[in-house]
Amino acid sequence: MSTKTFAAIDVGSFESCMKIFEFSGKNRMREIDAVRQSIDLGSDTYANGKISNEKVEELCRVLKEFASIMKAYKVEAYRAYGTSAVRETENSIILQDKIAQRTGIRVEILSNSEQRFLDYKSVASKGESFRRIIEEKTAIVDIGGGSIQLSLFDNDTLVSTKNMRLGVLRLQEMLTHLDAKSTQVEHLIDELASAQLATYKKLYLKDREIENIIIVDDYISPWAVKSTKGEDTMMETAKLEELIQLLRNSNATQVAQTMDIAEEKVPLLLISAVLARRIAEMMGASRIWAPGSTLCDGIAYEYAEQNKMLKGEHDFEKDIIACAMNISKRYMGSRKRAETLEKITATIFDNMKRIHGLGKRERLYLEIAAILHDCGKYISLTDIGEASYNIIMATEIIGLSHKEREIVANVVRFNHSRFGYYSHLQSGVTELDRESYLTVAKLTAILRLANSLDRSHKQKMKGVKALLRENELILTVDTQQDITLERGFFEASAEFFTEVFSVKPVLKQKKTF
Amino acid sequence: MATTDFKDPALYTNRELSWVQFNHRVLNEARDKNIPLFERLKFLSITSSNLDEFFMIRVASLKDMVNAGYEKPDIAGMTPTKQLEALDEAIHSLVATQYSTYNRSLLPQLEKSGLSVVRFHEDLTEEESAYIDSYFEENVYPVLTPMAVDSSRPFPLIRNKSLNIGAMVCKKGGDGELEFATVQVPSVLSRIVQLPTEGKAKKIIFLEEIIERNIHKLFLNYDIVCAHPYRIMRNADLTIEEDEAADLLKEIEKQIKKRQWGEAIRLEVEAGMDKRLLKFLKKELKIGESRIYAIDGPLDLTVLMKMYGLEGFSRLKTPKFEPQAVPELPAGCNIFEEIRKGDILLHHPYQTFTPVVEFIRQAARDPEVLAIKQTLYRVSGNSPIIAALAQAAENGKQVTVLVELKARFDEENNIVWARMLEKAGCHVIYGLVGLKTHSKITLVVRREEDGIRRYVHLGTGNYNDATAKLYTDVGLMTCAETIGEDATAVFNMLSGYSEPLFWNKLSLAPLWLKDKFLYLIGREKKYALEGRPARIIAKMNSLCDRDIIAALYEASAAGVKIDLIVRGICCLKVGIPGVSENITVRSIVGNFLEHSRIFYFENNEHYEIYCGSADWMPRNLERRVEILFPVDRPELKEELFHILKNQLRDTVKASVLQPDGSYEKVDKRGKQIFNSQEAFCKEATDRAKEVEAPTQVSRRFVPETPQGL
Repeated sequence: MSTKTFAAIDVGSFESCMKIFEFSGKNRMREIDAVRQSIDLGSDTYANGKISNEKVEELCRVLKEFASIMKAYKVEAYRAYGTSAVRETENSIILQDKIAQRTGIRVEILSNSEQRFLDYKSVASKGESFRRIIEEKTAIVDIGGGSIQLSLFDNDTLVSTKNMRLGVLRLQEMLTHLDAKSTQVEHLIDELASAQLATYKKLYLKDREIENIIIVDDYISPWAVKSTKGEDTMMETAKLEELIQLLRNSNATQVAQTMDIAEEKVPLLLISAVLARRIAEMMGASRIWAPGSTLCDGIAYEYAEQNKMLKGEHDFEKDIIACAMNISKRYMGSRKRAETLEKITATIFDNMKRIHGLGKRERLYLEIAAILHDCGKYISLTDIGEASYNIIMATEIIGLSHKEREIVANVVRFNHSRFGYYSHLQSGVTELDRESYLTVAKLTAILRLANSLDRSHKQKMKGVKALLRENELILTVDTQQDITLERGFFEASAEFFTEVFSVKPVLKQKKTF
Repeated sequence: MATTDFKDPALYTNRELSWVQFNHRVLNEARDKNIPLFERLKFLSITSSNLDEFFMIRVASLKDMVNAGYEKPDIAGMTPTKQLEALDEAIHSLVATQYSTYNRSLLPQLEKSGLSVVRFHEDLTEEESAYIDSYFEENVYPVLTPMAVDSSRPFPLIRNKSLNIGAMVCKKGGDGELEFATVQVPSVLSRIVQLPTEGKAKKIIFLEEIIERNIHKLFLNYDIVCAHPYRIMRNADLTIEEDEAADLLKEIEKQIKKRQWGEAIRLEVEAGMDKRLLKFLKKELKIGESRIYAIDGPLDLTVLMKMYGLEGFSRLKTPKFEPQAVPELPAGCNIFEEIRKGDILLHHPYQTFTPVVEFIRQAARDPEVLAIKQTLYRVSGNSPIIAALAQAAENGKQVTVLVELKARFDEENNIVWARMLEKAGCHVIYGLVGLKTHSKITLVVRREEDGIRRYVHLGTGNYNDATAKLYTDVGLMTCAETIGEDATAVFNMLSGYSEPLFWNKLSLAPLWLKDKFLYLIGREKKYALEGRPARIIAKMNSLCDRDIIAALYEASAAGVKIDLIVRGICCLKVGIPGVSENITVRSIVGNFLEHSRIFYFENNEHYEIYCGSADWMPRNLERRVEILFPVDRPELKEELFHILKNQLRDTVKASVLQPDGSYEKVDKRGKQIFNSQEAFCKEATDRAKEVEAPTQVSRRFVPETPQGL
């Protein structure tokens, strides 16, 4: 049978949902069932730091039902992810185990950037409509409960993504705290958001003009999907104004009735709408698109992509690299040098494949590490390693999980600082598992070696060729210039390289006249 | 021009009175000399059981309102007290007609046709009397429980709807004081007892007469002063009718203590009952004069259904119609394959219900089927559907069955087979709190070569193979993706998951359906105002929703031509100038019970047809889960339109609502005699034959010829 069924489960803060998908040979992803069940885990986590036992019981009951639905569809694979409520609960590991024991479902935890990346993929899963829209200058506004994520596209590549603590629930809480009258709500949201948005504009948006905004959220999207009857159509930004008008002029019960939504969601819809309008104004966007795609769509899309059941039209790796470059640019990293490094590391990595046994994903880490190798210089010229590490750990790179970011940050750090061995690392700030640690060691060795070849930062080594011969890696550089300096550093870094791979790097100069 | 208030109560008919009219129309069938005699007995029996149900549900409910001091007027501006008053009069007149029909038309005809009914035991011959007395001693006496009332024994509890014989008795050798005694006519024995006769003619007597004749044997120490049958109906319904408004429910809850449990709301007595006996009953039951029915004939005419069952009178019955094969689904076909070729419409009982049962049976056996989901409302005893569902669960399919426990009078029955399904491994859900699930939908999920495909059956009638032979209903079988998605969402919703953001094709009550109808009616109105063709034809069982009727009035006033085919209650009035001049209402009461709901909207010459489980009643639109589905395939739309057109042509079984509120049979002058139900029977038979014919290949033996010569 050429089709495959897959279940995507999202254990959200206020709702758990599951979608069943079918992938068929024709590069087709088809949703065949979707169930949603409100279950408020967020209140417990945010208020007490823990999910109460009753809620856990309820969650297990819901997931058990999900499991039986999966069974009915003979689902071949699934991914279940917990988001902020599960992530932030103190007893998350116990919770995960309990769920697995009771329901057989293994719930993994998504970091914010992973979650946002999946949200982004969910939009990309809309295929053609998505591709068409990002041809123009576009921003994705992902409105969550606790925070919002603004991502910018340039030439159909994602270039930056920023998280701001302006989530709808957070804003609502603040409004409640301020005891705001309903007439003040709009004004207050504008005020609360403006300060942060102004900074964002100054630092990141600059004078970019944005034409389209893609909204990913739980409040505006259902409204948009309902009003367009599920046809992927864009709306003028003015439609948001109409929505706000409607919300402004009627009470919650009326809105709930006319718009066919739960009454408690009405104030959240207003906050989302006002926020979206404010952002649209700031960006100067004229059209919005709220495709109503959910995390589950993103989960399925990613799964299909990874398992080669779907050929994604969009290159997400390009997005990750573009983001890294943007970060490097912000910290005045040298574009040219980064390029040289990228080239050399890639050459070494590819030729060493047989020895290091790492894959495509690790190659991406190395590429990012090369791009960000010197970002710490912006802070300190003497403590580049630690400063770089801290910058990378404090900057979200969409598409990289926390763990992956940690790997990249460590590779950059050890490029400059003394390499920390596993036992040392365990007592330090980072907690890498063994496998990640080995990846760090291998990538560090490669980056150090490559770095030594461009010590003078003059890009002397244009064409480096590598050849793996028995226990030697022969690097042939094609340059007319004096490479005495590089040779010196090469020896030093070769030692560590040999330690990690048991392969001795040998540098040869080829002079072509 | 002053705008008309289309919700003015003067424009509406009270639903209870309209119901009485409906029962009159059924009674008219019993009076129709063109109908075989035994069929007329059946119709009379139906009016009687209808009336019993009406008392238990509607009259009881009105009584509750009066007791609770609830005085809110109904759609026609009548308070509950007023309605009860009007009903007393209307029902008395209905009952009078029932018995005059029985006594003056049916009994003499039966006599002529070889069935004589001995009305009074006094009319028996000596020989017959002897037979009856020994019958009494052998069969009846052992199961009787006579009860006497005196100062030490209080008035006994007389069971609701039971038939009893009451007597005034006087102690032998006592002081002549009269005492009351009563005995229930046992329901375990047949109420009809055949007397021995010679030749073909049959003679019967009712059980109560036999007991009455022998009653002295029950009270040996007493002299029997008089003995007469009586029957009471009580307001003992514990559940409150869903038809009533929510504010009423609150009111009743508040007044719950005041509610008089088991209050008698109807007393039927034999006409000419001894005045002392009647006075005693009246006092003990605390029942007013207007609720006492003096009956000139046997009490409880539902016994006529038993009489219908007597053997040897088939010439006096309409020959049974055998539901015909569905040409698109020949016996032995793979139903899924046939559905994939295109949507299939089923018209019951003209076409057989078997494919629907077969649909579930095949799904249960099919290895590619993953899941079966179905709503069940009323199911026949020993239902093949239940058996198939249980089988499917045992075969490892995911079977989800929504069992509606709130189906009137069926609760106990439903619980039994719901347990059975659970035992078999089905996932049984019991509906949504506060809402009856009345929709009829089945979803079969099948894994096929190119992925999951969903097969859906949607119907206007229950999944009941027994009633499917008597009720007219339509059903649709489809594997359209849009309907499949909606069906999946319906079951998710019924299982307690959130509703989908939008529906592709289906409209569901209680949330969206009424708006959909109002939209469709409003659209016709808009077209009419623009001078485009605008027409509505709607067929249903009852019409009593104020919003819908007001919308119809508005549409009619705007020039929409509206033809309604409403079998039962209709609160809409026709022929009101400026309001309903463009509306016609007809009711078809025939051999089969009209049950399908079909809705036609002209839609500016792009007509749309919908079918569904809901009537235009507040309870259907607001307090039940109902589904309305469109039929899209042109041939099927044509077929449904044809059904509606035929019903509008009916000159035999149709009664037309008049501006004065009465119903008149269609004026046949200058018209062809046309009976729509008969026409459908013929059509179904012809269509089934057409398909059968070519399959009858003549057999021919072919002699073998030697090869290679």
